[in-house]
Amino acid sequence: MRAVLAVKHHLMNRRRSLVPIVALAGLFGTFAVMMLTDTAGQIGAIGLAPWVGLFAYDVGLAGGLAAAGLGLALWFIAADTQNTSLTALTIGIRVTAFLVFAVGSSIVGRRMRESDKAHRTQMSLQTALIDSTLDGICLTDVRGNVLISNVPLRRISVEMGLPPMGTVPERLLAIAPRTTEPDRYRRRMREIADQPMLASEDEFEIQGSSRVFRGYTAPITDADGRFTGRIWTLREVTADRELDRLRDAFVAAVSHELRTPLTSISGFLEMLRDEEQTLGEEGRLYLDVIRRSTERLQRLVEDLLLVAQIEAHRLELVLATVDLDEVAAAAVEAARPTAAEKEVALRLEVDGAPPVQADAHRLAQVLDNLISNALKFTDAGGEVVVSVIRNGSYAQLAVTDNGVGIPLDEQSQLFSSFFRASTAMRKAIPGTGLGLVIVRAIVEQHGGTIDLESREGKGTTVTVTLPGAPEAVA
Amino acid sequence: MRPRVLIAEPNAEVRRFLELTVERLGYVPVGAPSAGPVPPVDAVLLEPASPGSRSLLHRFVDDVPPVVCLSVYPREAGLEPAGSVAYLVKPSSAAALGNALRSVFGR
Repeated sequence: MRAVLAVKHHLMNRRRSLVPIVALAGLFGTFAVMMLTDTAGQIGAIGLAPWVGLFAYDVGLAGGLAAAGLGLALWFIAADTQNTSLTALTIGIRVTAFLVFAVGSSIVGRRMRESDKAHRTQMSLQTALIDSTLDGICLTDVRGNVLISNVPLRRISVEMGLPPMGTVPERLLAIAPRTTEPDRYRRRMREIADQPMLASEDEFEIQGSSRVFRGYTAPITDADGRFTGRIWTLREVTADRELDRLRDAFVAAVSHELRTPLTSISGFLEMLRDEEQTLGEEGRLYLDVIRRSTERLQRLVEDLLLVAQIEAHRLELVLATVDLDEVAAAAVEAARPTAAEKEVALRLEVDGAPPVQADAHRLAQVLDNLISNALKFTDAGGEVVVSVIRNGSYAQLAVTDNGVGIPLDEQSQLFSSFFRASTAMRKAIPGTGLGLVIVRAIVEQHGGTIDLESREGKGTTVTVTLPGAPEAVA
Repeated sequence: MRPRVLIAEPNAEVRRFLELTVERLGYVPVGAPSAGPVPPVDAVLLEPASPGSRSLLHRFVDDVPPVVCLSVYPREAGLEPAGSVAYLVKPSSAAALGNALRSVFGR
């Protein structure tokens, strides 16, 4: 792109220095022919005027007028020498013609230069624009020859070891042996080369370097839908893949190294329960502590794995028509012992919410998390209300407490992993800061929305809105 | 005769817990032989994340009996072998394990 501009610029400079000389040579040459062949009458002013026009076009108005003067002077000399009869009318017509040529051509010349400059400015803006992205971008013609490419593309091409010559498909095909899956890569490149209208997105790794690139290509068509070339973009995704690898390793480690001992801990704990009566009161107390801690650890492991799954966009839902009232009722019942222990009133209000197309297990997780949060942050004597209502075609679920609330400036961070509100930290309320991340991901995966309203010292309301199941809407 | 349940679990402590649970449920726990053919049993309790345990399924002389998976990985991990009739994720309660095995034997 830059090279094209530079060549054009160079050509323009050369033309500008050459044109006035050619114009002057033309003027004097024509004059010489008139003089030598004695044809001032036949050739006349009309033979000199184009050269005036050319000079004015290139040099501008002042130069053009000077050339017009010169042209007229040469014509007068020739006419005088050859005794061509001149009347005031013929002189007037010639002078006017020379002036019109000079003025007109200089205006046209200026317009052309301005438009050329605007075009070059536009081109350099476009170049700056496509160079400013981190992705490599290039445009090719029908045969695959590069028309435009940006700086990142040229850098990535060098890093990938693409040969400098040839069409883009040829150059991409040349590195097939260096990719980790040469056959798949080669097949894909051939498909792209053979099927002009194919759009494709592929990832490939360069052997030995562990560098992974993601390429995208799509056809470009003209107004009639005819194939006129391709756009290609290339991006290095090595860091993303490394993160994925780390996340997978983390999930494997947590799954394996934590779930295995947890299995024997909770298993033997369950067996011990059968012999609980043989333990003294103190022993039973210790057992309770172990049991609670084990449950907490289990929840943490499940939450960590779920967040990893969410971050990898691998959360899958098992959808069925679900009655939100039932899910809420079950969640409220499950939370009753905790509410009683904390002396917080727990109330359920249901009012004709439509059924939803949802994963009942995941929705139960949403409710468990929200109710558990509300109970945790509400002092004895407070109240938590779970309501499930209809809002148009939507089912709306709200969990309201009159607990400690969340400071306004912290509310936007509540849905970030491991974030804990200062009110929670101050009161040493246990938690990992993963609950709301999970809740939001599940709600959004269902096509729903979640809103939080809170005032410090007054309480919090979390509202989840889910679209009603299609048959229920109709 | 009490049903025999083969336990294919790589972790010794978990294995011990499973043996006790199987016994308490009224079945006979059978240890997995480290090599050679596997004796006929009525069900297999398997950790599919362990390649050693999975390869056991190929060493049955006769048909592979119903398999109950108890894994550190969720079902979506795609480790569930053919012939699996139930899939539990660790840590699973003895009650859940009991339900899965009872559904195999119908008692």
